[in-house]
Amino acid sequence: MGVISAVGNSVAENHKSLVEGLCGIRNEFDLFPTKYAELLPFGQVRISTADLLKKLHVTDPGVTRTSLLALHALNEMLQDAGLSPAALSSSETALAGASTVGGMCLTDELYADANKKTDGSPYTSSYDCASVNMYLQKHYKMNGIINTINTACSSSANSIMYGAMLMKNGFAKRAIVGGVDSLAKYTINGFNALHILSSEKCTPFDEDRKGLNLGEGAAFLLLEKEEDIAGKKVYAELTGFCNANDAYHPSSLSDEGDGPFLSMQGALKQAGLSAGQVSFINAHGTGTENNDEVESKAMLRLFEKVPAFASTKAYTGHTLGAAGAVEAVYSILSLIHQEVYPTLRFKKAIPSTGLVPVGSYKKMPVQHVMSNSFGFGGNCSSLIFSKV
Amino acid sequence: MLYIHQAYCISPQKTFQDVDLQELHEPAEKRLLAIEPLYDGIPPGVLRRMGRAVRMGAGASMPIIKNTAELDGIIIGTGKGGMEDCIKFLNQIVQYEEGLLAPGNFVQSTSNAVAAQVGMMSKNRSYNTTHVHRGHAFENALIDAVMQLNEFPGSNYLLGGVDEISDFDYNIENLDGAYKQESISSKDLYQTDTPGSIAGEGAAMFLVNDQAENAIACINAVNMLHSQDLAQLEKLLQQFISTHIPAGEKIDLFLSGESGDNRTLKFYTACESLLPVNTPVARFKHLSGEYATASSFAVWLACYIMQQQKVPGNMMNGPVEVLAPKTILLYNNYKGLQHSFILIRKN
Amino acid sequence: METAELKKQLKQQIVQFLNLTSVNPDDIKDDEPLFGEGLGLDSIDSIELIVLLSREYGIDIKDPKEGRKILVDINTMAAYIEQHRTK
Repeated sequence: MGVISAVGNSVAENHKSLVEGLCGIRNEFDLFPTKYAELLPFGQVRISTADLLKKLHVTDPGVTRTSLLALHALNEMLQDAGLSPAALSSSETALAGASTVGGMCLTDELYADANKKTDGSPYTSSYDCASVNMYLQKHYKMNGIINTINTACSSSANSIMYGAMLMKNGFAKRAIVGGVDSLAKYTINGFNALHILSSEKCTPFDEDRKGLNLGEGAAFLLLEKEEDIAGKKVYAELTGFCNANDAYHPSSLSDEGDGPFLSMQGALKQAGLSAGQVSFINAHGTGTENNDEVESKAMLRLFEKVPAFASTKAYTGHTLGAAGAVEAVYSILSLIHQEVYPTLRFKKAIPSTGLVPVGSYKKMPVQHVMSNSFGFGGNCSSLIFSKV
Repeated sequence: MLYIHQAYCISPQKTFQDVDLQELHEPAEKRLLAIEPLYDGIPPGVLRRMGRAVRMGAGASMPIIKNTAELDGIIIGTGKGGMEDCIKFLNQIVQYEEGLLAPGNFVQSTSNAVAAQVGMMSKNRSYNTTHVHRGHAFENALIDAVMQLNEFPGSNYLLGGVDEISDFDYNIENLDGAYKQESISSKDLYQTDTPGSIAGEGAAMFLVNDQAENAIACINAVNMLHSQDLAQLEKLLQQFISTHIPAGEKIDLFLSGESGDNRTLKFYTACESLLPVNTPVARFKHLSGEYATASSFAVWLACYIMQQQKVPGNMMNGPVEVLAPKTILLYNNYKGLQHSFILIRKN
Repeated sequence: METAELKKQLKQQIVQFLNLTSVNPDDIKDDEPLFGEGLGLDSIDSIELIVLLSREYGIDIKDPKEGRKILVDINTMAAYIEQHRTK
């Protein structure tokens, strides 16, 4: 696994922050000039783009911050996995990634190029979501199936599913799966225009929640088949997954949470688990009025007794296209260390649901973790990871 | 792999209602713009929000939604999603200096807006995803549909590819060298010896499942490659043919994504030279223009050809007539970097 | 500006701003609900109308929920504009 986020530049650093309750959301934004730097808190990764270029020894032109964050996390994963260059370049190794921002983190350059105000910046082929994985493919000379998914906030959960399916159906022997997004003036203004950003640090599942905080990050995981894991370090098993659609509204979920209910139910079915066997849910829990209430209602519909749950977005902010993958890593950390991480700053339950998330770090038996990611367009995905 | 039962296409040619490919529609201001229908099936309250890509994708999906009792998933490939809406929102950010902004464009600009809108209009709660890997976006969507069918036999999926030309995206792509600087007629696309192609756009939507009965066509194999190495491409084609096309079977048509871009011509000529002698070659980008999901247009075209049992004359490279084609090999590349082979057979 | 004229202008602005291409501004009744039934607008439209009020009339509504109380129909919108416009 490899991860980079506002709470750390590696799996170990992220883990330490999760255990110690160290929040990465700050009012110290400095990636680019924006009037919101002073006004809003963000989950910014603590390395500047210039330092990322240096650290990763990248000299190619046109490489965006999004691609650099992805490369950072992928490098960590590759080292952790000990994947040989030959295996990495094998046509049997797939790369299933995700991004919603792509190169649009360079909002000003995009504006200039799109409106013909320049002779062309170095980024004219780097704006789309695919640019990240095109860069990674080229950087590592990968020859298997390469893909990018964009289904908004559920993107990297869906790439994890896609990678697993590629392996299951004989299109790949192993799959590098994950996603990335970096903070961008575009998304800051977009979410702000929808009035769903909070001017304070987010409080998921709290009665007084005021919205989400935007974050950035990247995470990659290596999926291998059961028959290929002998002698290798194995962190967890991906036992179930499901994608379903809420089909209600472009940017909010239906009152009863049909989409979330169906994705959670489908994941359980595929894993062959009953609701009662889920030890912990890493919720989507963005801190918006709509998501948290609807997700709670869907959990109440599905689970006779809602298991322990929390939202780690209180630590990292909402990392958009990276969220599914970052939170997959956190779910797996729970399984490895038999512990769960709290929803920071939670005070009072939502009156209509009465659900209380985990409020402080604790050690507990964790056998199966469900991780939810729900995106714009009603795109709902749930993954289940199990202890090995 | 999977069977195609319905195929609809909105494109720069007359491909949606009363299909007629004999009359060639030409570029306007260096762009092959889609002939958009009236979109009667889309409620006005929904249509008014849609950017072009979403309109075309939704419009081409409507007949399938109407004709199909139950869809088990919606799987879309798009290179640039709602780029027009994206830049419109971006322009607002600049014009109003990050002040009070209208969010409509932002919501419609997400790549999965097409799949989401189709899902909402059909109230479909099942699998819904959007692949955006540029020149392989449609191919990955296709593989996804194949895998879903393996997992859930007997299901029906809406599979498609869509991309739009927006003024803004045209500017960016133009700066990137994707398009010809000179104005040309589509008829002359393949005679030019200059870099770049013509900008195109379109939406091709298919109803696919694992039932052979009554299918228009069958997609038997798909393979992709990221490379600028000619030798690697040639090797892949040879493997593809030897794996999927038995020795005695004739390739009735090689459907080529040759784009008029002199930088990528070598890939097409290399593939053609590896084919059995006298394999008829047809080209399609003078009809569709160049865009990331143009291979979806080609698949629609293959279905049309299978149904009509002949190939429109203006597509053929050479004075060959192709009658009753049963096996079509499609080769496309996007910007000489993302290559794909798709094998389509008549059912 | 007279109220009748304001209402006529407002209808045209709403149709244009929300791209209601199938609606004739003159066909919108003054007391026709904007949301749910009637014109059938949704939550994204309510945010867009708040932007319209700001850009055209200099009215700032910070909370979209407060906005919905004003954005009931053309009558309520026009009344609010007349009271609070700064442009």
